[in-house]
Amino acid sequence: MLSAGVIFFLAALQGLTELFPVSSLGHAVVVPPLVGLNFRETDPAFVPVLTLLHLGTAAALIILYRQDWARIISGFFRAAKNGRIDDPDQRMAMMLVVGTVPTGVIGLLLQNPLKSLFGDPRAASVFLIVNGGILFTAEMFRRRDERRRKATSTAVLAHEVGDPQYAQIEGLSLRTALFVGAFQAGALLPGISRSGITMAAGLFAGLRHEEAARFSFLLATPIILAAGLLEVPSLSSDAPTALVSAAAAVLSGIVAYASARFLLRYLRLGRLDPFAYYCAALGVAGLIFIH
Amino acid sequence: MRGSRPLALALVVLAVVFAAVAIFYFTQKTSFLAGGLPAMHWKHGILFAALAVLSLIAANFARPKSVRI
Repeated sequence: MLSAGVIFFLAALQGLTELFPVSSLGHAVVVPPLVGLNFRETDPAFVPVLTLLHLGTAAALIILYRQDWARIISGFFRAAKNGRIDDPDQRMAMMLVVGTVPTGVIGLLLQNPLKSLFGDPRAASVFLIVNGGILFTAEMFRRRDERRRKATSTAVLAHEVGDPQYAQIEGLSLRTALFVGAFQAGALLPGISRSGITMAAGLFAGLRHEEAARFSFLLATPIILAAGLLEVPSLSSDAPTALVSAAAAVLSGIVAYASARFLLRYLRLGRLDPFAYYCAALGVAGLIFIH
Repeated sequence: MRGSRPLALALVVLAVVFAAVAIFYFTQKTSFLAGGLPAMHWKHGILFAALAVLSLIAANFARPKSVRI
């Protein structure tokens, strides 16, 4: 059984790491054994508690982008009714639908084999190293592209705030949104970060860093919310754990909100490399110290 | 985008299939596409119901539209 202390620790960890490109799930699997927390990831309550904590993160994202979501939801219904896309809000709504479907389908159909990986911190450590590799590769290609563009254009400095050489989300095609969304399915593996892999895909698709983060957060919200809501009934038979988890979800949401604000500000000029090195280091530590 | 009646029709058929699968999951104990012992997999039902709705929306996008003057 998960103690209240463990649940609050997981909440703070989840809120801090969910939106950073470092895999919250990987942290939830790898960090407790590393710091000597006494519980098993195979505990039947582990996955439901963890997904309930995601409701806090989803709430934080909805609050952060409340105006965008109001326009997107309205745009979705107008586009669905008319059968065509007439404005950017409708386009964004359809991009999020197209980008969300692959993860929803794969996640639900493969949930049993995927859950078995949650009890394997060494597998999560390997995936954390892979996640670091993905982030590093995305930045490497972006740097190469920036150098190439700099060589051909002297007018604009690459990787500046509002850099016009790279696109905004509204400039993406539906096919690209599907491409970025399909990458999100990789985050079902503990250690592969949802925000990391979608930000990397966004960079490959030509988005600016902060736009890649914004698209990643918008894309993550429906999946995180749905996963959390679908797991609520799993805790209905364990009222004390459900109550503690609900309180912990609030903590998770507050931490996630602060993390998202920080990350969006950082990515105006910062890059993903520090997160790549951190993931690789944590993965290596997991492989060395967890037996 | 020009509409395509056959594509719209195919998407409606797909929506009907998804809806049937959703009803199956809501009403039958099964391990089909879910693994483990046969049980009610209402989450799968919700997924296929959502896919049915999205297929209908896609069909609405794909159907030929009358031109407004």
